Amino acid sequence: MSVLGEGFQSPSGRSRNRPHGNLAALRIAVILMFGVLAAQLFNMQIIQGGDYARRSRENHLTRKEILPPRGLILDRNGTPLVKNVGIYTATITPAFLPEDANARYALYLRLEQLLGVPALEIQSRVKEKEADGKGDIEFPIKEGLTKEQALALEELTADMTGVALTIQPGREYVGGDAFSHILGYIGKQTPEEYRELRTEGYSLNEPVGKAGVELTYQDVLRGEKGATAAEQDAQGHLLKALKSRDAVPGSNLRLAIDMELQTYIAEMLEASLPNPLTMNQKNATTAAAVVMSAKTGEVLALVSVPAYDNNIFAQVTQRGAEYEALATDNKTRPLTNKALSQALPGSTYKLITAAAALQEGNITPATSRDIPSRILEIKGENGVIYNLIDWRAHGSGIDLTQAIAWSSNIYMFMAVCGIPNGSLQPHKALGKDVDSSASIFAYYQRGFGMGQATGIDIPGEDIGRVPDPAWKARNYAGPDYTDNDRDWYYADTCFTAIGQQDVLATPIQIARMTAAVATGKLFTPHVAKDILDADGKVIKTIKPEWKSVPVDEANLAAVRRGMHESVLAGAGLKAQVSGMDIAGKTGTAEFGTQRPEGSYDQHAWFTGYYPYNDPEYVVTVYFDYGVGGDKAAPAAANIFSWMNQNLGK
Amino acid sequence: MATTFGPGRQGGVFRGWDRFDYVLVLCAVGLVVFGLLLIYSGTYRTYEGPPASFSNPVTKQAIFAIFGIAMMLAVSKLDYHYLTHYSVVLWGISILSLVAILLMGHSAYGSTRWFNLGPIQIQPSEFAKLATILLLANFFSEHGGDAKDLRTLLMSLAIVAPCVGLVFIQPDLGTSIVFMAIWLGVVLVAGVSRRHLFILAAVGLAVLPFVWTFAVADYQIERISVLVDPEEDPLDAGYNVIQAQIAVGSGQLTGKGLTNGEQTQLGYLRVATKDFIFSLQAEELGFVGSMVLFGLFIVLLMRGIRAAQIAGDISGQLVAVGIVILILMQAFINIAVNLSLFPVTGIPLPLVSQGGSSLVSIFVSLGVLQSIIMRHRAYRQT
Repeated sequence: MSVLGEGFQSPSGRSRNRPHGNLAALRIAVILMFGVLAAQLFNMQIIQGGDYARRSRENHLTRKEILPPRGLILDRNGTPLVKNVGIYTATITPAFLPEDANARYALYLRLEQLLGVPALEIQSRVKEKEADGKGDIEFPIKEGLTKEQALALEELTADMTGVALTIQPGREYVGGDAFSHILGYIGKQTPEEYRELRTEGYSLNEPVGKAGVELTYQDVLRGEKGATAAEQDAQGHLLKALKSRDAVPGSNLRLAIDMELQTYIAEMLEASLPNPLTMNQKNATTAAAVVMSAKTGEVLALVSVPAYDNNIFAQVTQRGAEYEALATDNKTRPLTNKALSQALPGSTYKLITAAAALQEGNITPATSRDIPSRILEIKGENGVIYNLIDWRAHGSGIDLTQAIAWSSNIYMFMAVCGIPNGSLQPHKALGKDVDSSASIFAYYQRGFGMGQATGIDIPGEDIGRVPDPAWKARNYAGPDYTDNDRDWYYADTCFTAIGQQDVLATPIQIARMTAAVATGKLFTPHVAKDILDADGKVIKTIKPEWKSVPVDEANLAAVRRGMHESVLAGAGLKAQVSGMDIAGKTGTAEFGTQRPEGSYDQHAWFTGYYPYNDPEYVVTVYFDYGVGGDKAAPAAANIFSWMNQNLGK
Repeated sequence: MATTFGPGRQGGVFRGWDRFDYVLVLCAVGLVVFGLLLIYSGTYRTYEGPPASFSNPVTKQAIFAIFGIAMMLAVSKLDYHYLTHYSVVLWGISILSLVAILLMGHSAYGSTRWFNLGPIQIQPSEFAKLATILLLANFFSEHGGDAKDLRTLLMSLAIVAPCVGLVFIQPDLGTSIVFMAIWLGVVLVAGVSRRHLFILAAVGLAVLPFVWTFAVADYQIERISVLVDPEEDPLDAGYNVIQAQIAVGSGQLTGKGLTNGEQTQLGYLRVATKDFIFSLQAEELGFVGSMVLFGLFIVLLMRGIRAAQIAGDISGQLVAVGIVILILMQAFINIAVNLSLFPVTGIPLPLVSQGGSSLVSIFVSLGVLQSIIMRHRAYRQT
């Protein structure tokens, strides 16, 4: 007897009460129906089985990421400038809030009590989010809660659906306002940043550096995320930990910055800015200073005043008005790092001018000129008469040392631009004509790092400007200008030679140029010194990088003699510190429009180094208003003196 | 009662057992054992009492199975004509209990299907199905032996309609469909005229929109739309559809092994030993296990069709056909729900799902089948 058979033969004979139904259709139905089920089962288990197996794993495995502690930032002596803190934020997910409007408002009122955010404000923000279709996205209602607020909120969140307390890793900057421009700050990733960073394994809740060395050394400071994986049941109970990987803390970054020096300079410069409220005439409102090692290019101090507290970025919701005031202060623009911002360099530029003229053989250290008058009358192109002006009549027999020490404009005009034929004392220019002179001079300016980024490890530096015929043609392109505007003239080269008119340079560029004059090496400046592991062991040292300047050592030495003389008995006399052998150069750059009596607003500069014979440190000081020898040189003297007393002791 | 049936050739206790269908019983017992393993796997983590207790789901199910098998043997010894003869009474009691349950029964998952009798829950619709099959078969055999007459056909519809209606408002869409399928299968085998069937189908289609609008509960519409897109409502109606899909799919070819399915063991799959026991099976025993299960069902059903084929008279054949369709439709709908081919409806997998009423009523049905098989010669009229 077969298992399925036997019934296939219909019973013989016919009778009214004989079974006569057709059962083949029923057999077919059984096979077909189980066939359909088997086909679907095959589809789910065999064809899509791998996919469902993955979903099954995701279902019951929870993965939690552990954010690594961010590396600390230390000054060159190991003093921490930052602290890692938790930032407590109260958030709302509108979709999880109670449906009932009254219950919702009651909840807003409790939050108002606890956080001080008005219930009406919370309500309108929730409505706004819901109207935008973002009801299921968590958004912050108050950031930077105090520990007490956070604890109280934590207790309340148990019976307030839709309200949550989140803890984000954050930074507290403990070094003071003087470090804000260097350190920068960290913050939440923007959607644009996240799109890029997630390919590098970032999760959205990881804060990233937004400015300063926090941004430059993001990869060093970040560390490695850890993770835990656990099995969880349908009710969300964790059953067992499967594996975990510890987070690796970020490496510590030791800066070349000397905390005490930085703080001293910031306070000293701040104090030398007159109080804007009591000031009855124009005076300096901003200042910057750079202290750089002439041997390595390390930056020991990089100061910009007025400064600000960079903890403000982590507390924007509480300190919104304060931030607004900083961001909209167009007079002093405190958020901008003045040490990396470009300005007319004035006579500090004569160091490059002198070096170029020496190297091109236009002058020797002994070349002497008679400058009997403040005004040099030059017959230029097409018979135009230029009245080139010096700040004083330097007298007769002025050599290069005197010219640098007393910052003679006319000596530099003659050295670089020459005196065209037809004038009283014809001299050779750098090139055979006006344009080529300008181009050759531009080559030397670039050789000293002008018109290009210094490569300092702080984002956002200005690159300055080296004006030359090509630049002028570009700058005055378009129908608003004529060919006359675009042409490069004799006087353009002259003004560039004394750091006026179109030249722009940043304090860090001037400091770097000064180091190059002192040593022949054009360094890439670094505020970071080395990278340390958690135990303080050096993992990586940031090595000095430089390229040589296109000027012979003998010619640089001639320029240095002028700088030495300047501080000993010249325009830079006020930078002198007894017991120190300092060389330097002042700069007073005229800018803006001429006043009725003929004077201009002026930037004050001083750049110098010490010791004269074995250059070790470069100091550059800039004020947005003032005379170099009177305003910047004394400030530099304070810095030199402080360094002499405190550095390396 | 002095009524006797048939030619009166029954003799001793052992008469007829030589024709008893052991293959059928083996398949049924195989499915029950399958079910016991799965119930064990699905409950051992949550059940903490002694193994030999009535509160142990496995023990309870085994006791029901033994009781069911005893019932099957008793019923198979009984001439099925006793049952068809009194089918009107059985049917009447079923209808009354279905009405009663709407008034005082217990609810679960939004639907009222149980009586509580101490530790046992009685689900009257399980027995109403068998009573309806018996009454239908009796009705046709007494009304000319077929369904060719329109009057007869409509009257047979009147037998099924109260059951469909009462079950539908419980609400239990799946069981309503099972009732309709039984009727359709029985009238097809009873030789319904195609013309009549088309007319009825046309009337049915015309009425359907009204049923949809006025009689189908919102939750049923939701379950149907969830089937189309389970992600639409992942926490509520769509939850178990998604979890069952994941359970079944992740079982792959050979399954994760008994007691090792995370979907079941970690509680993601709900009612895993009852309506969704097939998902548990598919997760832990895989495609291979499912094919074994299908094989057991197919052999069981083919043996049931064989019983219909060899039945001695029309009532026997129609009863057998009804029981085959009863088991086929319940198995099909249950597995189709598990595989997201059918909206979620509370139908257990016959012989496998945890639950005494279903188990005992299926064994009683199998007993009726055996009764038909054992007596097919006695009632064969030539």
